[in-house]
Amino acid sequence: MPVIPAQLVVAPASLTREQVQARLLAGQTLLNDSADHLLEVVAVLESYGEVLDAYSKNLIYQAEQQFLNPLPIFKYLDGDFSLAKIWRHLNHDRINFEYAEYCMKAMLWHGTGGLDAYLDGEAFAANCATIIAAKRGRDPLLALLHPLAPAFLPELIRTAATVHALGQFWRVMSDLFLDLAAAERDGRVRSIPAVVEFIKQGLVAAAANPITYGVQIGGQQHWVLPPEAGLTFLVDVAVPYVEAVFLRGMPFLGTVSFNAQAQQISPDQAQFAYGALYADPLPSMGAGIPPSLLMQDMYRHLPESLHRWYQHQGRGEGDVRVKICMSFQKAMFCVTNAAINGTMPHALATEVPDEQAANAAYALAWATRLAAGRTDCLGGLTAGI
Amino acid sequence: MLLTALLLIPFLGTLALLVWPGSPSPQQLRLGTIAILSLQLLVALLVLAGFDIHQGGMQLLEQHRWLPGLGLDYSLGIDGLSLPLVLINAALTLVAAVITRDIDKRPRIYFAMLLLISGAVNGAFLAQNLLLFFLFYELELIPLWLLISVWGGANRSYAATKFLIFTAISGMLILGAFLGLALLTGSADFSLTPVLSDRLAMGGQLVLLIALLIGFGIKIPLVPLHNWLPDAHTQASTPVSVLLAGVLLKLGTYGLLRFGLGLFPEAWAKLAPVLAIWAAISVLYGSLAAIAQTDMKRMVAYSSVGHMGYVLLAAAANTPISLLGAVFQMVSHGLISALLFLLVGIVYRKTGTRDLEVLRGLLNPEKGLPLTGSLMIVGVMASAGLPGMAGFISEFLVFRGSINAFPVATLLSMVGSGLTAVYFLLLVNRAFFGRLAITPPSGDPLVDSRQDVRLAVVAPRETIPAITLVAAVVALGLIPSGLSRISEVATTAMSALSPGVG
Repeated sequence: MPVIPAQLVVAPASLTREQVQARLLAGQTLLNDSADHLLEVVAVLESYGEVLDAYSKNLIYQAEQQFLNPLPIFKYLDGDFSLAKIWRHLNHDRINFEYAEYCMKAMLWHGTGGLDAYLDGEAFAANCATIIAAKRGRDPLLALLHPLAPAFLPELIRTAATVHALGQFWRVMSDLFLDLAAAERDGRVRSIPAVVEFIKQGLVAAAANPITYGVQIGGQQHWVLPPEAGLTFLVDVAVPYVEAVFLRGMPFLGTVSFNAQAQQISPDQAQFAYGALYADPLPSMGAGIPPSLLMQDMYRHLPESLHRWYQHQGRGEGDVRVKICMSFQKAMFCVTNAAINGTMPHALATEVPDEQAANAAYALAWATRLAAGRTDCLGGLTAGI
Repeated sequence: MLLTALLLIPFLGTLALLVWPGSPSPQQLRLGTIAILSLQLLVALLVLAGFDIHQGGMQLLEQHRWLPGLGLDYSLGIDGLSLPLVLINAALTLVAAVITRDIDKRPRIYFAMLLLISGAVNGAFLAQNLLLFFLFYELELIPLWLLISVWGGANRSYAATKFLIFTAISGMLILGAFLGLALLTGSADFSLTPVLSDRLAMGGQLVLLIALLIGFGIKIPLVPLHNWLPDAHTQASTPVSVLLAGVLLKLGTYGLLRFGLGLFPEAWAKLAPVLAIWAAISVLYGSLAAIAQTDMKRMVAYSSVGHMGYVLLAAAANTPISLLGAVFQMVSHGLISALLFLLVGIVYRKTGTRDLEVLRGLLNPEKGLPLTGSLMIVGVMASAGLPGMAGFISEFLVFRGSINAFPVATLLSMVGSGLTAVYFLLLVNRAFFGRLAITPPSGDPLVDSRQDVRLAVVAPRETIPAITLVAAVVALGLIPSGLSRISEVATTAMSALSPGVG
């Protein structure tokens, strides 16, 4: 057996379930506090914020302007059909909006939370019927298509609703991450606990924001997600997003292949653990998770401070997307950390035994899921990546 | 004078390195060697420029009496068989010097030995006197032994000694055959031109030919005389493996064609059916053994055993096409095996292992060795004989030229060609596809995916020699007419020596 030099392979220690639970209950951050971590998390979230801004605008454009377009070939152009824009698109000088759609599909497929419940309800079906009736009169192709495949257009509307909801969610997150970067520059955020607290405050502030979606057909407003549905930012979109993209994800053909026939993939979607927090940061150059396309996009907007830091790690520019993914994973643990802190049943300082028990159970449930993830990125072993 | 220059340049270069005053740094010695070998390549190209492709016999002849009492003359010449091999020698020795980096001990001797080997190989290919050939054939033995035993891997002493014993026996058999020829013909003339064997009875011819077959069969090597090669390759450093596979094995096939077929054409025709079967066995054994290997270098070494079998098959068939195929195979194998050993060397340098049970995912675009992996895929495709590359032309010519003479042996050899694809796909699949890893798999892909593998990046200059070889392999595959024009007249003339079987 060959003797492999130790410095060529590094496998940092993972946190156990108990360690994750203990950190959550003690009010400690999951990610160790260090200057490098602060630089990585804030800067990578800043670039993520820039990318989410583009994703959000495009998703909302798609849902509103490309609504029920069966051949949306210009959906990534945001309504700008100039030759220069088309050339840049074809030349791949553009944001990978495919990644945003991938996340939307993950949400649609896993279907958890209030949004999914509403999309399966009678009120939504009634809205669909009204919208399709209005649209059929103006679009002969849809008039022909609907009787042939009656479930097709409602499914397109369901998709469009998820697209719009994700666009609204990312609008908030984009602003939050860009504000975080500004706060760090102003000196208001100087540590990882401050980052987690800042994100938690942002999530809490936006928690009750209504999620609505309407389309214009023939100058008339039609609601897809009406205000009376009562859908809100945190419970109906943010939590299902975290569930679908951070935790469950999809088994993909990346560098690790899974064989469904050999029961390597659970038949129960709830047991899936292929999300961003579990992902192998080595790129497969696909659209899945690890999100190589997202890394390309974030690389376009990488703050110079983090870019310079990466130059001195590993292969410098050569493996920069892997390093972005590793930093991104740390940042996503911080966001998850903030979400858990924000949804803890009771204050951590409570001295009521029942409330303490409830908190412990809540933390344990999260710790059980997170301990199977890439907690090896949390330990602070960042020197010489 | 050009041919003498091909000897003087490396030999005087050896001397110059040895007497270089002061303490030249390894880098200075390397650059000096590269300069000398570049000059040698230039002279080899001048020989090519001065070569008349329409003339069948020896050209640029240089003859001086040396020790007439012994029958030893300084007699050099070149034809369409030896010219491609002289060019390959010049090119691959230069590649070997270029890829020698971080030489840690006795760099002066190392580079001197490299030059000495190159000069001796030139001499062997150019010699028109049997004893002169033998002198050069033996001259390359000691430097190569030193290169393995001093600059080799952990088990280098064993491999070097084994190499020395095998090739010493090879030399003894060849010398015995040459002396036997003189004894039986009653002539002390060892010059290559007179066909001395005409005066020999068939029994005598057969005995001498069998001695040559075993002697050169060790060098090629043919199964079951191949035992020294995988060990020598495994323990040799990458530049030495490049030389060994690319150039030195060709001394065996060249000797077989020049002296076996050239001196004893009638006996050759009698033994040809046996040789064809021997070739098929060698091809199949080499290929099957390669499949079983888990060391990348041993796998490439066994592939050499298999691929050299094609040359014996072509020589056995002895048709104009098959002999042309033999020349193509010698050249293409020289280029392809040099390429493969070079790439395996890069993998070994970066990962510390060549173990196919350990290496995975090296094609990873960001943290692996993507360009090395891509070149390896091109190399194995060429070795497996895919159209558009040198391997296809040579195998096609060998099979096309041999199928009428020995259909069964040819078909079996074609199976061996298919097996090349099998073992090289195994190599590529294991080492280059999947999740990047250089440690044994744990059995749980998720645990393996937690490993951060930190391989050093392959600098562009490390890949330039491999890219050059790939370009040569593709060029020979796409424009084979250049080489065929050089060799066709010579191989056609050679096949006319014997009644043949084809």
